[in-house]
Amino acid sequence: MTISTHPHLLRIVASLVLATILAGCASRTQWPDPDTLDITSDTDQRTVLNRVPFFAQERYQCGPASLAMMLNSQGLDTNPDVLKELVYLPERQGSLKVELVAAARAHGLLVYPLDGSLESLLEEVAAGHPVLVMQNLRFGWWPQWHFAVVIGYDAREKNIILHTDTRERHEETLEVFMATWGRADNWATVMLPPEQLPATAQPLRYLMSANDLETTGRTTAAMTAYQTAEQTWPDQPAAIMGQGNIAWGLGKPELATQHYLRLTGKFPGLAAGWNNLAHSLAAQGCASASKTAASCAMAIDPERFDGAVPAGQDSNATAPAECPVLDCPTPSF
Amino acid sequence: MQTIRKHLRYVSFFMAIMMAFGTVWASSATAGVVGTGELLTEQRADLDRQSLLDMLERDEVKEKLAEMGVSQDQVEQRIQNLTPEELSSFEQQLAEAPVGEDVVGIIVLFLLVFIITDMLCATNIFPFINCIR
Repeated sequence: MTISTHPHLLRIVASLVLATILAGCASRTQWPDPDTLDITSDTDQRTVLNRVPFFAQERYQCGPASLAMMLNSQGLDTNPDVLKELVYLPERQGSLKVELVAAARAHGLLVYPLDGSLESLLEEVAAGHPVLVMQNLRFGWWPQWHFAVVIGYDAREKNIILHTDTRERHEETLEVFMATWGRADNWATVMLPPEQLPATAQPLRYLMSANDLETTGRTTAAMTAYQTAEQTWPDQPAAIMGQGNIAWGLGKPELATQHYLRLTGKFPGLAAGWNNLAHSLAAQGCASASKTAASCAMAIDPERFDGAVPAGQDSNATAPAECPVLDCPTPSF
Repeated sequence: MQTIRKHLRYVSFFMAIMMAFGTVWASSATAGVVGTGELLTEQRADLDRQSLLDMLERDEVKEKLAEMGVSQDQVEQRIQNLTPEELSSFEQQLAEAPVGEDVVGIIVLFLLVFIITDMLCATNIFPFINCIR
């Protein structure tokens, strides 16, 4: 059977293809419905964050300039010339996004990547957080990458307001912004002090950002971020475990024990919590309590934890009175 | 070509042994404090896995699966066997699926599950591995 014998089929296929293409185009440049946005300020049509300072970029140096705007808006005092040393690659005539992210972390800020939707971008701006975005000003096959800072929007004019290259408060139409931003995979991030929560923060995503601070050695900032997370989402074990792990990493087993006890108290079904508690107790010199904790971990997840008591100090280095008395949770969960 | 294939067999066998070694080594090396990142990766995977399993409960998906001649149990089993990376790549596929076409997107997703698992059988370097069917 050929297509020519089925003119209907051809027509259907053609209209389907057309419908898909047109739908694709139409869905791109819609301003989000105000009702779907979680913006608390009373339906501000136009928002501009005036306290975000502007630094005009020098040739190819949009990275250091954008980063300087992001950092200074959070109360840090720095400038593009200083940051250039950290994030500018002369040979590539530009900066990499990982370097911008790493530099912000080195300044003790929590870097939270947005989910790439226009709604999230607008919600963050409405909450007063400038957003660092990446754009591709040319085409996918011949890219020109660019960093800019979104500092506002105008819902009526459908404009996004940016500090970009040498233009302060440049108003870009939504079509242009979405096209250039989309060609850079909608990369967007906020950089905030760890005691502040991003407006669009999701628990796991936020905790992973906090973990990035922990693994890069910014322990004070990471600690604060975990505490912020524990207060915001009491149902997230990683927020407490992170605090314990930081204390453990700093060589403070007593402090770690306190956090791990809180962890096993709230989340008795989490084997990893009992395992870590066993380690901190052993290091503290509480051999018997450590043994109990290790057996709890094994009772919950025998495939992962073998119940071996971690090597610690001399078994009775600490007075037994200072060691906690533990009970394994009943295996009902 | 034939000689390359012949040698490939031995090299592959050697690599397989090495990888098995690596796995054994890694699992005994995790005896220590569990890192925060490790816990987060697990939680993320659980979340992704649950959302995939939830989709199995939908009627359209059940119908499509019945059409394809696979039981729900089989698919559940396969989802349980996916690694965190595989799960998150499915989640990403789903997030990128156009709004309003999610049923089609889900079915494509399931097809991907089958392609990945069957790919193990498609490559026939190891004669001693039997396809799971």
